[in-house]
Amino acid sequence: MKRFAGWLLAAPATALVVLCLLVPVAATIATTFGEAKGVFSPYIAFFGSGFRRNVLWRTLEISLATTAISVVVGFLTAYVVVRSPGRIKSILIIAAVFPLLTGVVVRSFAWLILLGKNGIINDFLTWVGIIAEPLSMLYTQGAVIVAMVYLFVPLMILTLVGVLENIPDDVVQASASLGATPAATFRQVIFPLAVPGLIVGAVLVFTGSFTSYATPQLLGGERQMMMGTLMYQRAMVSFDWVGASTVAAIMVVVTVAVVLVMARVARRLNPMAT
Amino acid sequence: MKLGSFLSILGSVGVAALLSAAPARAEGKTLTISWWGFNGEKLTQFQVDPFKQKCGCEIVFETGNNADRLNKVKIRDGAGVDLIYLTDAYSQLGIDDGLFQKFDASKVPNLAGSYDLGKDPQGGYGPAYTIGRVGIIYDPTKIKTPITSWNDIWRDDVKGQLSLPGITTTAGPMMVLIAGAHAGVDPYADEDGAFKAVEELKPSVVKSYNTGSELVNLFSTGEISVAVAQDFTLAQIQAAVPTAVWADISDGAYATLNTVNIPKGAANPDLAYEWINFLLSPEIQQVSAENGIDAPIAKDVKLTPDQAKQWTYGADMIASLRQVDYTKLNAAKQGWIDRWNEVFGQ
Amino acid sequence: MKPRTSPFLIAFAALVYIFLVGPLVIVLGAALSDTTYLTFPPHGLSLRWFEKIFEVGAFRTTFVTSFQLAFLATALALLIGIPAAYALNRYRIALPSWLSTVFVLPILVPEIVLGFSLLKSVTVGAGAPIFPTLLIGHTLIVLPYAVRVVSASLASFDFSVEEAAISLGSPPVKTFLTIVLPNIRSGVIAAFILAFITSINDVSTSLFLTGPGISTLPIAILAYVEQYFDPTVASVSVLLMLLTVAVMAIVERTLGLTFLTK
Repeated sequence: MKRFAGWLLAAPATALVVLCLLVPVAATIATTFGEAKGVFSPYIAFFGSGFRRNVLWRTLEISLATTAISVVVGFLTAYVVVRSPGRIKSILIIAAVFPLLTGVVVRSFAWLILLGKNGIINDFLTWVGIIAEPLSMLYTQGAVIVAMVYLFVPLMILTLVGVLENIPDDVVQASASLGATPAATFRQVIFPLAVPGLIVGAVLVFTGSFTSYATPQLLGGERQMMMGTLMYQRAMVSFDWVGASTVAAIMVVVTVAVVLVMARVARRLNPMAT
Repeated sequence: MKLGSFLSILGSVGVAALLSAAPARAEGKTLTISWWGFNGEKLTQFQVDPFKQKCGCEIVFETGNNADRLNKVKIRDGAGVDLIYLTDAYSQLGIDDGLFQKFDASKVPNLAGSYDLGKDPQGGYGPAYTIGRVGIIYDPTKIKTPITSWNDIWRDDVKGQLSLPGITTTAGPMMVLIAGAHAGVDPYADEDGAFKAVEELKPSVVKSYNTGSELVNLFSTGEISVAVAQDFTLAQIQAAVPTAVWADISDGAYATLNTVNIPKGAANPDLAYEWINFLLSPEIQQVSAENGIDAPIAKDVKLTPDQAKQWTYGADMIASLRQVDYTKLNAAKQGWIDRWNEVFGQ
Repeated sequence: MKPRTSPFLIAFAALVYIFLVGPLVIVLGAALSDTTYLTFPPHGLSLRWFEKIFEVGAFRTTFVTSFQLAFLATALALLIGIPAAYALNRYRIALPSWLSTVFVLPILVPEIVLGFSLLKSVTVGAGAPIFPTLLIGHTLIVLPYAVRVVSASLASFDFSVEEAAISLGSPPVKTFLTIVLPNIRSGVIAAFILAFITSINDVSTSLFLTGPGISTLPIAILAYVEQYFDPTVASVSVLLMLLTVAVMAIVERTLGLTFLTK
């Protein structure tokens, strides 16, 4: 009976994903195996190219860095937000959303203004006397990470606010009244209870940054090519859909692997987490 | 407010949205055009409305950039639109993929009034309706020695000041041609030689740009002072950097033609031919040029020097342009893209 | 008495918010600039780039389409996603563990591949009209937010309260609406906000799924900046921010003053 009820409730969503996502995408990825040169030839070509292996590695580095930074920053900020008095809390939550609403074109312009040769930060550092020549901050791996963190911290904050709010106050107070220091309470009570939300957020941030296209394109260009830009190039410029689907298939495998690892870690930290 | 009432409000908004989202039923004939979709108001005023009056038909648009729209036509196997606007690099791709029908020039009498290079640029699949060029824009207050040749972008004083079109843009692959010319080799035959010259350019390049707005931002914030660009960006760049000029290149700018093609699955090819004829007519060519829509491909358009300065215009200028053989270029393009990525990406 | 939040943490959070809001100041400044190109600080102040938005026909129509799409996709995703999240938590033992991964699949697949595949299979293959396919695409990409964010909220919900109510004779659906849902309100709101924003901003999936007569706002903006390089792009961003905030404020109001009470 329970199983039936469970499946019934989950059925519409499952049906949508299977019919409209799994089947069409599987069909697209299946085309990568039909090349005349061999069943795995596109994949061999991919991994055989030093440049493309580099792109995969760089994308992993950048997304992991973005995820780590966003999780920590987002968690700490969400913690403060959740403990703010009512009206301020609402404002903070709404303010956290704004960065997500800027189009990528204006956002990259804003980064140009901030990080450019004649930008605000360089002007400030020169004026204060820390540097003599403007720093070249744009179009580096760091710039891409900063721009992505900018997009994903709000995501973390929003995800975590919902979770942290549901950690009952009395549990926290009980812990304090039993003599635990704030740090210990945090480590042994709040953190494990927040793990489901942290993992959800981390997954969303990792996959978002790993498959990202627009931000790496504008902030990194060809110097910092990532899997998303590579795939887009294949699909939209060369019309090489087999090539693009190959990149996509590799991206899916990598993200699934990382997500599984994250879920494993989550279970260790909190056995009740999904 | 209770959750229940919220859900019912959401539901009714949803239903209202769904109903109003249903596409309008077209009465009578409808011409479906695929184009970029900017210049909207001017196009409506000077081209769309007059044509609608003439033909008594409806016009529906599919908008986007070259790649998206061509991709969609391809996925739909040449169906879905009656007419498609593309830059010549992309229309050549469409032709190679067999997506367009052969063009019947007899249905378009106004074709006779175009410059020769625009009449049939691609072996019988559709004419050009406008012309532009790729050249160099720079700021003489930052680059003191004038730029008079493509070779000048390899100069030392350009280091760290240059932006090139991304290899995936229209003008991008032309850089390989230019590099080949600089190295004195035929880039199709000697790819290595051409790319050696591209590598020499690397320290000069700050970033490649993929859109006009990116280019303008790079100029306006002072990140660059020189760029290889298409002429339609000049006016906007000058608004931000009034001292910027179009370099007078002795070895010739490259021509870019925008074409109109009829996909093989077009539902209303006759309407499409009517539109093309309309587009190439002397009146529309004149009006479009005067109002900042497109440079004229018709020979007889007369413009004042002020009107002409933003366009590729005039028999002499057009005769001085270099043309790209897109069949060859498209064949080599994927390889060039990969090599370009490798040069700049490591 | 709640333990005081460390001042260091508060200072940190303040810095984070400066980081988040800083670029927005630049965007706003650029939108108000009386120049034909993006610049900051603005040279002269003018609202003309806001007026321009309404003059561009493409923006007017796609604004409406995008908001319709976002509402519908979010509503649909919540409608099928909340039950799924509930099932995943309540009947966790009865369901296979891989089921939760199913609902995350849409974000694992790169969006343009999703759009491309949908166009091929659904629009071309099954002959479906454009708007429904676009809607399916958007619902798919926001579904992970609906399911996972709500699920995370449900993870700390004490189901024994629900079971008690049922054992006292309350019908299951009513119990869900009056006991479970109010307790996961923050999760639902967060999911709504994230889903709505994802749909409004989406480019990659919509790229292929738009067609003759139907396009979305972000795509119209992209087309615009290919030829016009003026501050309209900044003013559209500002307008989008304001409208989305209005939507969020309405949502918060109708679902109850959650943030003020909990």
